[in-house]
Amino acid sequence: MNEQFSADPLLVETIDRLLAGVCSADEIEQAEQTGWSSAVWNSLAEAGFPWVSVPLEAGGSGGTLADAMAILYGVGAHAAPAPVAETGVLAGWLLAGAGLSLPSGPATVVADCDALTLVDGRLTGTATVAWAQQCERIVALVANGDADAAGYVVVSVNPTQLEVSSGRSLAGEPRDLVQLDVRLSEVEFGSTTVSPADLLQRGALTRVVMAAGALNTIAQMTVGYTSDRQQFGKPVASFQAVQQHLVTVAQSAVRVNIAAQSAARAVARGNAGIHVAAAKVVSDQAIIAGTRAAHQAHGAMGVTREYPLHRFTRRLWAWQHEYGSAAFWRRQLGQQAQTAGADDLFPLITR
Amino acid sequence: MIQFEYTELSSAEGQLQAEVREFLAMELPRGSFEPGLGMNAAIDREFSAKVGAKGWLGMALPTAYGGHARSAVDRFVVTEELLRWGAPVGYHWVADRQSGPVIAKFGTEFQKQRFLPAVARGEVSFCIGMSEPDSGSDLASIVTSATRDGQGWLVNGRKIWTTGANQHDWIITLCRTTPPDQVSDRRQGLSQMIIDLRSPGVTATPIPFIDGSADFCDVTFDNVFVPDQFVLGEIGAGWSQNTSELSYERGGPDRWLSTYLVVEELLRLHSAAPSNLLPDSVLDVLGDAVAHYWILHQLSLSVARSIDKGGAPAVESALVKEMGTRFEQDVLTAVLATVDRAPNMVSESPFERLLVASALTAPSFTIRGGTNEILRSVAAKGLR
Repeated sequence: MNEQFSADPLLVETIDRLLAGVCSADEIEQAEQTGWSSAVWNSLAEAGFPWVSVPLEAGGSGGTLADAMAILYGVGAHAAPAPVAETGVLAGWLLAGAGLSLPSGPATVVADCDALTLVDGRLTGTATVAWAQQCERIVALVANGDADAAGYVVVSVNPTQLEVSSGRSLAGEPRDLVQLDVRLSEVEFGSTTVSPADLLQRGALTRVVMAAGALNTIAQMTVGYTSDRQQFGKPVASFQAVQQHLVTVAQSAVRVNIAAQSAARAVARGNAGIHVAAAKVVSDQAIIAGTRAAHQAHGAMGVTREYPLHRFTRRLWAWQHEYGSAAFWRRQLGQQAQTAGADDLFPLITR
Repeated sequence: MIQFEYTELSSAEGQLQAEVREFLAMELPRGSFEPGLGMNAAIDREFSAKVGAKGWLGMALPTAYGGHARSAVDRFVVTEELLRWGAPVGYHWVADRQSGPVIAKFGTEFQKQRFLPAVARGEVSFCIGMSEPDSGSDLASIVTSATRDGQGWLVNGRKIWTTGANQHDWIITLCRTTPPDQVSDRRQGLSQMIIDLRSPGVTATPIPFIDGSADFCDVTFDNVFVPDQFVLGEIGAGWSQNTSELSYERGGPDRWLSTYLVVEELLRLHSAAPSNLLPDSVLDVLGDAVAHYWILHQLSLSVARSIDKGGAPAVESALVKEMGTRFEQDVLTAVLATVDRAPNMVSESPFERLLVASALTAPSFTIRGGTNEILRSVAAKGLR
């Protein structure tokens, strides 16, 4: 593993060891059947990891965004089935920014702000929300539609107040359908300076960072498997045709790792520029190429449930579509290029 | 295990970047010259001398030999700007990228004094004498021979695909100094010679290139005498020296910027249109290109930083070159798809002229400096 996000090296090592211990094949499979792993969540929560980067005074664990990114990299690298990104970096960040209290348990966010409307003190809408049924709070960022109050509002809702129906991502992780219809007077809310674009950007960052971890694991797994697996009397990794797949997987992992590091620093500096958008485009394309090559190199073994590859490739396929697809971010980058103009195109790329 | 560490430009490196941009805007304003395609750009001795005078050639060479003892990252910054501007780097390109560094590494005191100050001034040019008619990817099979003759060597044989041999000054030539039947491994018995392209017995003949240009050459050596003082490094150590030279060739911005100007001109063309609003299809091509350039820039920068930290990122360089050169072709394909008429070789439009030149030379991007197939083999070995 490379230098990570300038995070505390001790933290990087601790999270790696903790998740390696708790994210066993059985535990992840169990989480997929029931929608939850108490073992994974509790071990993370006891150490305060889900709330890293949320200030202590706001009820978080403190620490930097870089530290939180190192944790999310671990979540990706070990396929940890828990709403870590949602609880602190997303929901916790929104709550803290609006002066609202954090729940003691897991929290989640409504990623698609356009799905909700707030008019006449009534919040309505339907959205797919990660881990909604398991969370103590669903946090939403919504434009205040009431004429006399411009800006955005953060709303913190207890899922028991809502109609939630179960759904699953390609990785078998909860992506539940939530129907909101609540009065502001019945929930906690506060105004915020965060915009939906900020939330989208931060959400995309979490997916890129988790993808970097998962792709790194896949790259190691693919090198390992093809070195062990023998055909025609020698390891399949010695065949040039197979080596080409190994190179594709390695390139995918390397690209997303550097993209994640760059995007994380840009967001931490408060000036995302093109970094998050470019990182998500790079990540989504690397996921397509990297997972395809990894599966091909693994042959039939890689498509079985017993072999661990699917735990990572299925997560990558899920994250790829969350917080804006490559098509969405590519268009955004094109618009930024248009705004910069030809003379400033290269400075935009290398800024 | 491959290592790509994330890195950013320091403020001093950013300052250098700004200086190079300012120099290019003054020296070669857009529209005042026909931009080239990356390292394929035109030969312009006067321009090379100006770049040398700025201290931007031979940057990493020792100051004792006219170099500037700067970092690999500084050189990355300068070359990236020169290439993306389409500046005429043809004269000094190979000398600055690899010949200077290998002479600094393996050369004698005489050779360093003879060549390095001139490399840093942009006043000497080199060619790469590796491939032969029957030795491309399998370089160890070369047959160009050097046999002992008095105080030097007599070189006989033929090198091919040698860019600029009809215009450049010197060629660092890989020769067989011990016949293959007298060595246990074909990689033994090879040596590098620094040969004056104007020596008696050297004939450089252009091989017309796919786009009609004539700087791709066939070089024959007919009893060419090479004095001992022009043997580079050790006799018999040619293979490892050559491998070291190749590592300078890969991983740099020349491996992903060849078609950059096509993208910039696409944006310029559409920005000049009356509506000033780009079609979605063009926005998407631009956005995709921006993301790719962004990540390749960072990976290439990471390779340069690793060299400065004493690393030998040969595998990392191979990975970057492999993906960078494929991207150079892919982005061109994407830009071509936005054009609604067949590109014409005779055109008033700078965009169209670049498009034509790119389309006709793109197949070479994934071949020169080691084919992508060979690079993948090199990289795969480093992954285990």
